[in-house]
Amino acid sequence: MADFSWGSRSPLEHALVAGAHGARGTEAGVSLTEIRDFDLIQVMARRGQAAELAKAAKARFGVAAPNAPKAVQTSDAILIWSGPDQFFVLSKGGKHTMQTLAPALSGPASLSDQSHARALINIAGSKARIMLAKLSSIDLHPEVFPIGSAAATSMDHTSVTLWRGDDRPDGQAVFSLLVFATFAESLWHTMLDAAAEYGVEISHSEELA
Amino acid sequence: MTSSQSHRLASGGLIDRSASLNFRFDGRTFSGFQGDTLASALIANGVKLVGRSFKYHRPRGILTAGSEEPNALVELRTGARREPNTKATTAELYEGLEAASQNRWPSLRHDVMSVNQLFAPIFVAGFYYKTFMWPAKFWEAIYEPAIRRAAGLGRAAGVADPDHYDKAWAHCDVLIAGSGPAGLVAALAAGRSGARVILCEEDFALGGRLLSDGGTIDGVPAAEWLSRTLTELAAMPDVRIMTRTTLFGVYDGGTYGAIERVNDHLPSPPEHQVRQRLWRIVAKRCVVAAGALERPIVFAGNDTPGVMMASAMRTYVARYAAAPAKRIALFTNNEDGWRTVETALGAGLQIAAVIDARPDVSAAYRSLASKGGFPVLHGSVSGVDGGKDGVRKIAVSLAGGARAEVEADGLAVSGGWNPAVGLTSYHRGRPKWRDDIAAFVPDGAPPGMVAAGAANGDFGLGACLSQGFAAGVAAARDAGHSGKAGTAPVADDEAFSLTPLWHVTGKGKAFVDYQHDVTASDIELAQREGFESVEHLKRYTTLGMATDQGKTSNVAGLAIMAAVSGRSIPETGTTIYRPPYVPVAIGAFAGHHRDETFHATRLTPSHHWAMEQGAVFVDTGLWKRAQWYPRAGEKDWLESVTREVKAVRGGVGFCDVSTLGKIDVHGPDAGAFLDRVYINTFSNLAVGKARYGLMLREDGIVYDDGTTSRLAEDHYFLTTTTAKAGLVMQHLEFCRQVLFPELDVQLTSVSDQWAQFSIAGPKTRELLKEIVDPAEDLSNEGFPFMGAREVALRGGIKARLFRISFSGEMAFEISVPARLGDAMARNLMLAGAPFGVTPYGTEALGVMRVEKGHVAGPELSGTTTAADLGLGKMMSAKKDYIGRVMAGREALVAPDRQVVVGIKPTDKARRLRSGAHIIPKGQTPGPGNDQGYVTSVCFSPTSDQWIGLGLVERGRERIGEIVHAHDPLRGEDYDVELCNPVFYDPDGGRQRG
Repeated sequence: MADFSWGSRSPLEHALVAGAHGARGTEAGVSLTEIRDFDLIQVMARRGQAAELAKAAKARFGVAAPNAPKAVQTSDAILIWSGPDQFFVLSKGGKHTMQTLAPALSGPASLSDQSHARALINIAGSKARIMLAKLSSIDLHPEVFPIGSAAATSMDHTSVTLWRGDDRPDGQAVFSLLVFATFAESLWHTMLDAAAEYGVEISHSEELA
Repeated sequence: MTSSQSHRLASGGLIDRSASLNFRFDGRTFSGFQGDTLASALIANGVKLVGRSFKYHRPRGILTAGSEEPNALVELRTGARREPNTKATTAELYEGLEAASQNRWPSLRHDVMSVNQLFAPIFVAGFYYKTFMWPAKFWEAIYEPAIRRAAGLGRAAGVADPDHYDKAWAHCDVLIAGSGPAGLVAALAAGRSGARVILCEEDFALGGRLLSDGGTIDGVPAAEWLSRTLTELAAMPDVRIMTRTTLFGVYDGGTYGAIERVNDHLPSPPEHQVRQRLWRIVAKRCVVAAGALERPIVFAGNDTPGVMMASAMRTYVARYAAAPAKRIALFTNNEDGWRTVETALGAGLQIAAVIDARPDVSAAYRSLASKGGFPVLHGSVSGVDGGKDGVRKIAVSLAGGARAEVEADGLAVSGGWNPAVGLTSYHRGRPKWRDDIAAFVPDGAPPGMVAAGAANGDFGLGACLSQGFAAGVAAARDAGHSGKAGTAPVADDEAFSLTPLWHVTGKGKAFVDYQHDVTASDIELAQREGFESVEHLKRYTTLGMATDQGKTSNVAGLAIMAAVSGRSIPETGTTIYRPPYVPVAIGAFAGHHRDETFHATRLTPSHHWAMEQGAVFVDTGLWKRAQWYPRAGEKDWLESVTREVKAVRGGVGFCDVSTLGKIDVHGPDAGAFLDRVYINTFSNLAVGKARYGLMLREDGIVYDDGTTSRLAEDHYFLTTTTAKAGLVMQHLEFCRQVLFPELDVQLTSVSDQWAQFSIAGPKTRELLKEIVDPAEDLSNEGFPFMGAREVALRGGIKARLFRISFSGEMAFEISVPARLGDAMARNLMLAGAPFGVTPYGTEALGVMRVEKGHVAGPELSGTTTAADLGLGKMMSAKKDYIGRVMAGREALVAPDRQVVVGIKPTDKARRLRSGAHIIPKGQTPGPGNDQGYVTSVCFSPTSDQWIGLGLVERGRERIGEIVHAHDPLRGEDYDVELCNPVFYDPDGGRQRG
């Protein structure tokens, strides 16, 4: 009997080469970090049950789920608006999976597992905004897109979910991007092209932030 | 050899004399300084002749000092970076710059085509229309090739552009076009008010006319004020100044287009950098402070090298310390032209004479003339004596009728100023005429936009400062910012007294449009021939249709048309203004989207495994799909594909089918919802079962098909074709949100969540037993045909298993979460090794579906009904569904419709090709007896011959009939037999077994 191993392989496994990319010499202006092996559940209110879902979500997460394009940090997850009466639950380590969320939410909501349907990329660095301006029509000015802002938008003709999480300890803004897994390698190359002139630091991480 | 910059002034100018730059023009080496343009460097070296004109190949020099230049167009750079029609007046000088003149052979000084001038009487407006009419067949063979050779300016590089371009978005409260005094104070006012500001300046230096004309602002010299202002602006974090950036268009919703020449001022872009960047700027308000363009006066010989706009001459002298001439004459109809005299005298140049068309000259300038010792002639320039070496003598018609001559090597001309009304007119705006300045000024503007200063027709420095400041304050306030802006800087207004003069009649060609060689007499001819409308005038004479878009010529052309047609200029009107304001490279619009990055691509979960296997990939929409997996020694695709088909039919194979669209349909009303979107019923599907479904469009034509499984009472898993995945998702969302909002249904695309593989062949079950947990019952009873459920795999993971078949074989589809897809492919190879498992690609998949008579894209063509496809029985009579009513229309149920049928050649050795038309045997092919066509073909290893599917009139009633295949595209005619479309295992025993 053959010995089957079921290693998880990120959609960026092939394209992501950790280290420096593009212009060298000064500090990299953009850092790109892929977050691997996350849990992502889409929660969609059933007809007429948005209020019940909001209540159930508040009970489950301790904070209100977003009802506008926002991303909300909970103690162990990020709740990201994904459309009217629906949101994503992004977490790590099996804390919020189909199995664990169903008892709390499956009454007022339908759940869909999207954990493998997306790649997750964090973008930071002094040139993050100017680089993202090449890809996104969203205004990312600190006053227009403050911490907790989110957008369901497109980059390079590819659907993405973009939000701004907490700043890094050094005060740098961090933008997070969920992109459909099958588009991830293509968008990754586009991002590298956009960022190359500023110098890029590439890595991957198992941690959400 | 480096020449000596013979015409460089000893001091002054905004050039860095410590940074000497060598450059080449037409093979000769020259030197200039950092801060020069190619034009100013050529002038500094005494070069007057820089190009040949478009039609008559007349020698031409430099007319302007900006992006409105019609004459001094060169090929810049060499090799793949060679760019024709580059304006020498805006090309920044860099070390090693290489430029060549255009439209001359063998050399600029000796141009054979200048004989065209001798034939000038026939090269009039409408020349092509009149001359190449007859005989008609000569057009393609003789006229067009000859015209093509003679036409055009400059040569394209002819090879791929090696540079990169990108596109970016920017957002602001107040967008400002132009960094002259009006633009700078607008930025200052808006910035101080707290607004986010973007200022675009097409020049590499900020200051606009202040750089050339100086002046006094707030009691200090303009240069000092400029430097103080730029320092203040630079300290504002939300004010962004973009130099080398032209705002070229205005689009809907406050979106503007701008082109930034990021690295055009270098020989080639530094590594990782782009050449140019296209900006889409979203602004709440826009202040157009784009200034005004000085306009020529039309007189005989006005295109002689050395004839130059008066303001441009000031720019070359004051900003670049380059003398376009040593003995200068001025021809003006306004007070502003005289400033050139002041500048020239200040630089120690000689003034030969001022020819002023006005009856009166101000006392100040009269005394300047007497102090300078040059005559003021009241009259007009009626001719220029000179040629490729420049101006020698100027003929003047004096007001009283007498004639005079002036010896000069340069002639400055000022016919007044035209506000730059492009941006304000791009939403079909028509500028209005202002008599006091004899020019068109903006009459309204696109929403949120306002013009200020010279762009608004107010030319004085004081007016520019006060208007620009007020516009900046107002724009910021409208955008929600009303911080303390302070007060506007102040300056005096210069006098601008003008007597309109457009055209001086005289002997010889008098040019209106320099770049397109349109003369005053062409306009008069157009009027005589009935092309009086300005839009007709433009197209008939090509006035204003060159790359400069008539910036120096349009108004003069209109004025001449007005005069000859007896109308006023406002009655004559303007043509429609359209972006872009300056030419923009297509490469900038394409940005990143070229070659292999022309569009985004999608990769299947097993893509990199398939690459390791040496798969050949095919583009399927955005997808890269494994088409076949060649093995060593196989001579062509057919051999590989045939092997793959045989391996599946005789053993087992697998194929990544993750590209199918996959949609989770949730909710208590999921079944009812599917009943309405499919022609067949899904609400009665048992949990754990799959069913084939067909959707129609509203008009009754088939939209898409696929298999949908019920995984739970309130959860269906729907699949679509690869091609329609996105469209079906949109369609279903439309149905859910708009058509059936009363249903409690939730939809999510899970296309990317699952890696899905089809495993097919008689040994499928054996393979699955290796990999599936032994506790799972895979027997025909335990997992019957069309079963669908979750199973455990060895190694502790869960998968979804669907017993469905596209190949006609015993087959399953297995799904695992996408990040396990690569492992799945590897594990299927391991599990199947004892059975000779063979990965197969889309070609083998296609062969097996044709053998099995399954319809796919070529049959779901947007013209076929369910009945055409042989699926009419699926149309439920017990319920309503999308497309039901329209599918019953007479023509859609007519008995003579073209329906799916099998096709095989009567000669077994013959290859079939799709697209061949079917006509009755023995008839001559024609539209009258065309009965359909071949839709899909393949070489069937199972039948050992080519087989196909077709759509043929009454096809199902004609099984066994021999018909004729007519393929005019490939020049083939042969007989084929209509047959059952299910070539393989017609009773379906294999897939159920």
